[in-house]
Amino acid sequence: MKTVGFRSIVLYLLLAVLAGGAGYLIVNLFFHGSQWAMQPYNGHIYAEDATVKLGEIEDRDGLLLAATGEEGRYYNDSETVRKAMLHTVGDPYGMISTSVEHTMSSRLSGYNFFTGLNRTVFSQMGTDVTLSLDAGACTAAYEAMNGHNGAVFVYNYNTGEVLCKVSAPTYDPENVPEDIEENDAYRGAYLDNSLSASFTPGSIMKVVTAAAAMEKWPDSWMDRVYSCEGAEELGGDQITCLHSEAHGEQDLSSAMGNSCNLYFAKLANDVGAEALQKKAEEMGFNSELHMGSIPISKSEIDLSSCNRNQLGWAGVGQYTILANPYHMAVLMGAIARGGEYTEPVLTRNQDLFSGLTGGKSHQLCTAKEAQNLRSLLRNNVENYYGDWMFPEGMSVCAKTGTGEVGEGKAPNCWMIGFCDSEEYPYAFAVMAEEGTGGVESAGTVVSAVLQALK
Amino acid sequence: MEMIQEFLQSGFLPTALLIVRAVVPVLALYVVWRSYTSFQKGQRRRDPVVVLWDEGSNARLPVLYWENSIGRSKSCDVYLPDASVSRDHAVLMRRDEGWVICDTDSKSGVFVNGKKVQDRKLLKIGDKITLGSTTLSLWNSDAQPQRSRKAFTGFSKNAASPFKLMFVASLVHFLMAVQSCFQNGGFAPDKFIPFLTVLLMGWGLYVISVGVLKRVSFEIETIAYLLSGIGINLLAASDPDAARTQIVAMAMGMVLFSLLIWFMNDMERVAKLRLWIGLGALGLLMLTLVIGTEVYGAKGWILLGPLSVQPSEFVKIAFIFVGTSTLDRLQTQKNIWEFLIFTGACMGCLALMNDFGTALIFFACFLIIAFMRSGSVRTIALVLVGAALCVFLILKFKPHVIARFAVWGNAWSDAYGDGFQQTRTLTYIASGGMFGMGLGQGYLCNMFASDSDLVFGMLCEEQGLALGMTVLLALGILILYARSDVTRSRSTFFSIASCAAAGMLVFQACLNVFGPTDILPFTGVTLPFLSAGGSSMMGVWGLMAFLKASDERTYAARRASRRGASSNRKTPDPARKGSAGRRGAAHSGSMEDIYS
Repeated sequence: MKTVGFRSIVLYLLLAVLAGGAGYLIVNLFFHGSQWAMQPYNGHIYAEDATVKLGEIEDRDGLLLAATGEEGRYYNDSETVRKAMLHTVGDPYGMISTSVEHTMSSRLSGYNFFTGLNRTVFSQMGTDVTLSLDAGACTAAYEAMNGHNGAVFVYNYNTGEVLCKVSAPTYDPENVPEDIEENDAYRGAYLDNSLSASFTPGSIMKVVTAAAAMEKWPDSWMDRVYSCEGAEELGGDQITCLHSEAHGEQDLSSAMGNSCNLYFAKLANDVGAEALQKKAEEMGFNSELHMGSIPISKSEIDLSSCNRNQLGWAGVGQYTILANPYHMAVLMGAIARGGEYTEPVLTRNQDLFSGLTGGKSHQLCTAKEAQNLRSLLRNNVENYYGDWMFPEGMSVCAKTGTGEVGEGKAPNCWMIGFCDSEEYPYAFAVMAEEGTGGVESAGTVVSAVLQALK
Repeated sequence: MEMIQEFLQSGFLPTALLIVRAVVPVLALYVVWRSYTSFQKGQRRRDPVVVLWDEGSNARLPVLYWENSIGRSKSCDVYLPDASVSRDHAVLMRRDEGWVICDTDSKSGVFVNGKKVQDRKLLKIGDKITLGSTTLSLWNSDAQPQRSRKAFTGFSKNAASPFKLMFVASLVHFLMAVQSCFQNGGFAPDKFIPFLTVLLMGWGLYVISVGVLKRVSFEIETIAYLLSGIGINLLAASDPDAARTQIVAMAMGMVLFSLLIWFMNDMERVAKLRLWIGLGALGLLMLTLVIGTEVYGAKGWILLGPLSVQPSEFVKIAFIFVGTSTLDRLQTQKNIWEFLIFTGACMGCLALMNDFGTALIFFACFLIIAFMRSGSVRTIALVLVGAALCVFLILKFKPHVIARFAVWGNAWSDAYGDGFQQTRTLTYIASGGMFGMGLGQGYLCNMFASDSDLVFGMLCEEQGLALGMTVLLALGILILYARSDVTRSRSTFFSIASCAAAGMLVFQACLNVFGPTDILPFTGVTLPFLSAGGSSMMGVWGLMAFLKASDERTYAARRASRRGASSNRKTPDPARKGSAGRRGAAHSGSMEDIYS
């Protein structure tokens, strides 16, 4: 019997499987439990008679944006506020996965590993969230978008606090349109365009091309001169400036102000595809950025197989290049701060220690390049767009862009930039689809937001 | 009544119920842990009862077990370094009538007092046994009882009384019933009915076993009672009809449990009927294939009027009967072909029924039995290769089976498709936290098969992960029960059977718990004791009979009353055999009693 007894040790294998599996389950539950619990189908949170009462969401001035009452979740009284802040705050059905209600649902619901979704004294403490956003700025941006689809992202580049984030198309979470799934006007309405989408950048890409030139010729970049006839053949095909306007002899500074395509097309060719690709990647293209736990859609660039003409178009933000509004805003924030940006956050006083540790920083360019780019961008506003269009004393530095999308559609109109001001440390990126021009369609939005933030 | 109403509306109720839910796993854990430590403490020490005296070398060879192999092989229980002795020469077994020597196909044969033994022979104290050129004589042992060598023996020195453990187990059920009757903020005393029924059945078994049959241990029954009651109270909150079926099945399961224990008392009877049990089981499976009804994709059910029976749950018991064997048979019949063919036939039938989960359980059980019988890693490896081939063929001809595997580990990427059940289970387990959202307050119970395949999720959602883990511990610890009896049982027949039963239950628990939680592929088998399903409940109680039968104390009381036992146990003195003096099985049905 001794032998049989000894052989029964094989049962410990099974016991090990049981213990291992149970341990794995507990560990997984510990790390992912809040994600698992916060699913849109979870009856404890979303059913009519749900036990869980999600906490309140307020804007930076204490304006109530969302709360739970007897009849479930309700949102701000104003329809415009609801629409402007939909993608930030969220919807009652958990469709907008980048919203605060979705990404911070475990905090709003008071979930924790030990008591789950039970309502206890502990879970009811601190379930409310105060956003860093300004509802006034968001509605101003939404209204200034004037029905265009697109994205607005404005944040404080010193603290990282996001002040304004709007995405269109949007809808009213209190009255979800019945045809939301079929109607083309709502296509992509669940997506936050500022975080989860990338668009053809157009001329805002010239900031990157200029940075690549600064890296290649650190001492002589400002002296490079190219001539512009409005249209020219390059690499077997045409490169044209907007409206075929001939800019004549241009240096980098004036070409940036005039947004001269030919200058930057030639510059891109002299920099070379490899160097431009490398610089763009250093500046955040092709990398997976995050805002807290939210993954950001990549800005994309791939110059590995382009010819001279395509490289020329790439230098002015066409070809296959895509840019993400959040990325453009933090790029501007980095330039404003000497090359490093503070990662944006959506909430204030998230925890006791956030003030001590500070936001995460990421380097996108060198301090020297940041300084040079800042003076180029300031020159754009001072001498080309006009300071009159922005509130006084904000010392705005900016670049516009019109990304051609083809298919007979009007271009993506961009304005990216920042205020070179201690009092107003704001960086911004605005993109309006099917607009008329950078200044006309996006600049007015920037202006409205800055006015609201003043 | 008014006070109750007031209390219910005070808002204090949810907190009170949460505290109750936090207490339940603590009490359950106490029962599970103390049952096992008490079970162990009640076991006899490993002292020799009789010795074999080698006249040639004047060596005293202790006989430690109920069945002892004697031979030249070092792995024998009684090792004889004699070239003329066969490797596995003979088996010395203790049976009701006394010690029996059995020639296991040795070359030179076994002689008792000079006469060659044909098959087996009953021995008397002082008999001379000749194997090869060695002659041994059988004597009583005068060894002093050894001190326990265990360093850690639990947190308490003494065993808990069976009454106390049953009482705490009942308290666990009571606290669940309390939750059930206060659910939805009302007060529904009728929710106590399932609790009271289970209470009655559990204590009924207790009175019969401890009071009438005078059995000293009740730990295994306590665990089965605890788990069954948890399952029934859980079901009663959301599906009273299923709970009713479950209660009836538990009663029938207890009867089956008792019948099997009675049946296994007589080893001869078991040996005689083994073949018929095997044939009957196969017949039952084939009958199911012919007249069975398909329920949710598996043709594993026979409808008998209002009753629906799942024969495969009972075939599990028969399967163990066929697989296990006494030591003398193990020595003489070393190959496992017979059992392998039986396994193949069973699994074939199950595969034809489309019940791959159960087939897998049979296979795991086969591996355990085959290894314990042969100890041959090579055989096991060969069988595994064969099985892999079969799996390959199944996947080739039944490609839909692959779909189940495709979602394994990726449930979240298809939360509304193939990963539906897994993601819901995980979501609701997480929602429940450690102490659950409350009995009858779950959402998982609305899902298809929530009370069988997903019952672990349902338990965790409503009663918390703490109780879920306690239930897993209770099932896992069955392996330790089986292991601690493995050299103490009355025969390798029981050792192997209890290990196979415990292994089968734990393997089934693994499939049930880790399938819906996306750790293993989803197979859709029941969780022992907890899943709704009458046949399953009965079958599991039946399997517990193997664990109970493996404990030598189970049959000790009866034996103690049938034979005399003396207080004087000294050196070889055959004259003392059968002397007077009665001793009940106060401490345990110790082997010391038999030949004093």
